[in-house]
Formats: sequence, C-alpha cells, structure tokens
Amino acid sequence: MTGIQILLITGVLMITLYFFQRMKKAVFSVVLVTLMGALAILLILQPELTNQIAHKIGVGRGADLVFYICVLIFWYVVMRLYARIRKLEEHITELIRNQAIANAKVEPTDSFETNQAR
Amino acid sequence: MIKVFIVIPAYNEQQTLSAVIEGIMASVEYELVIVDDGSDPPLANIIHQPGCHIIRHAINLGQGAALQTGICYSLQKGADIIVSFDADGQHDPLDIKPLVSAVLEGKADVVMGSRFAGEAPQMPFMRKILIHFARIFHFLLTGLWMSDAHNGIRALSRKAASKIQLKENRMAHATELILEIKRHSLKWMELPVTVHYSAYSRKKGQSSANSIRILFDVVLHKLFR
Repeated sequence: MTGIQILLITGVLMITLYFFQRMKKAVFSVVLVTLMGALAILLILQPELTNQIAHKIGVGRGADLVFYICVLIFWYVVMRLYARIRKLEEHITELIRNQAIANAKVEPTDSFETNQAR
Repeated sequence: MIKVFIVIPAYNEQQTLSAVIEGIMASVEYELVIVDDGSDPPLANIIHQPGCHIIRHAINLGQGAALQTGICYSLQKGADIIVSFDADGQHDPLDIKPLVSAVLEGKADVVMGSRFAGEAPQMPFMRKILIHFARIFHFLLTGLWMSDAHNGIRALSRKAASKIQLKENRMAHATELILEIKRHSLKWMELPVTVHYSAYSRKKGQSSANSIRILFDVVLHKLFR
C-alpha cells in the first residue's frame, strides 16, 4: 500500500465514522455514506478500475473522471445548501417581522398642538 | 374615510429621514410608517413626528423585507391604500397624491412612479443604461413592459397589498413585485414622478456593480420558487 492510499483510506474511514456517530437515526443517509465509503476505498485500492471505467465512457484517465464527478457533486451540494439558506432566511424574516410588528410603537400625538401648527 | 399609509423602509438614514418625514407631512396628511431595518443607532431616536408609526427589525434584513413588514403592518391597521417611499430623499412628496388618486379612482391596483415619464434631473449616464437593460430583462421575464421598474415610489390598493407577498429580502424585491403583479393579474399603470439624484442618494443607493448581485438574486428566485 502506498502512502497516498493510507492517507486517503484513513480520511474516508474517519469521515464515515464521524457520520455514523452524528447521524445514527438517519438510516438512509448512513447506508448511503457507508456505500460511498466502501466504493471510495475500493477505488483507492484498485485505481486501475477507475481507468477502465473512464476509458469505457470516453475519458482519458481515471483521475479525470473522478474529478468531473466531484465537480458535479460539489455543484449539487452548493445548490442544496443555498436552498437551505434561503429557507432559513425566510424563517428568520418571518420571526423578525412578527416580533417587529408586535413591538410597533406610535409616537404620542399631541393632537391639539399639531392641529394648531397645521 | 379612506386610510392611506405611507411606508418608508429605512436603514441608517439618519441624515435624510427627518427631512423626508417633514416633507411628506408638509404635503399630505396620511399615516406614516417608518420601518427601521435594524439601523445602528436605532432611528427611533431621531423620529419625533407625532402619530408616526415606528417598527424596528431586530437585525438588518434588507429593503424588500422592510417594505413587506410595513405592508403587513399597514394592512393590520386597516389601510385602504399603501404607498412606498424611499428614505434617502430622492422622491418628491408632491408625487404621492397623484399616485393615491389613481388607485382611488380605480384606474389600477398598483400605480408605479416612473422617472422616465417624468423628470430626473442629473441622472448619471451609467444609471440610464442600466435601467434600460433592466427594462428589457423584466420584459423577457414577465412580459410586462415598464418604463421604470426599479423605482421606490408606488401606491398599492388594499387588494394588491394583501395579495403581493415579497419574499426577496434584498433589492431583487422590485423585480419580484412585477412577478407578483403578473401572477395575481393585478391592474397596473405608471405615472411620471420626479427623482432627485443628490450626492447622498447616489452614495447610499445602489452602486451599478450591485445590479449584478440583483440579477443573480432574481435568477435564483426563479429557480428556487
């Protein structure tokens, strides 16, 4: 096993374990992450596999294929996070708005004086 | 008795707000709602106009959010007509009455001020070009041809105000408003208004570069409906 393989596998294992600990209840997510982790480790140990797949679909190198897929996943994650932020922003706005309206105040009218002034 | 509410979203407008309030009070006798969008220091300290409603957002949310808060509040208070007005002193209080009358006479549910039908002394050249692009963009997006979509002075009937829901907190709300007009098939029209470009309003207002951000917000608004 080469140095980079050890480094990558350690990383994948740590992320998977961390996910396990935090997301025990989200079964679907845990299964998905486990599968992804297993796939990652397999490809790290057998880099030739990515090359073979890459050649089949017209990409020169396995590493390039992995990179392209990473870009796609990254975009998807950014969009998801952005949608989440917008949702949060909407909730915050509603909370602040309700609180602001509940605390609205009216400057005291000194009706006699203002009428005269007009 | 028709109840007209003037909503002024304001964020750190300490310099101009008092003059704007006085100007409005001198020309019309409507209810005034100041929405302080989390200014620091709070604007309440400088507002002494009797009868003026002051609402304060605990944090800064953006002009769109402040406007929507003012609209919600005015509707709760039984407003028949709601006018939006900018706090930086670029609008002329004398333009309020014609907009309100147009709604009252039932000519439209939403009456928008347009600086192209009217006078806009010293409008910066770049601004003219930008607004023209915005106009084409809006037309492509909504199918409504407006001479001036990004103008802060407008009058809404109660019906329009209750239907329109602005969710864009920042500047993209101007475009969102047009989308809402279209969505609810509201009757709209434009009336000429005067816009004064002072050094202050130019500094406080939208920089031309900011239009990119607005564009981005608008596109994302369409995507994440």
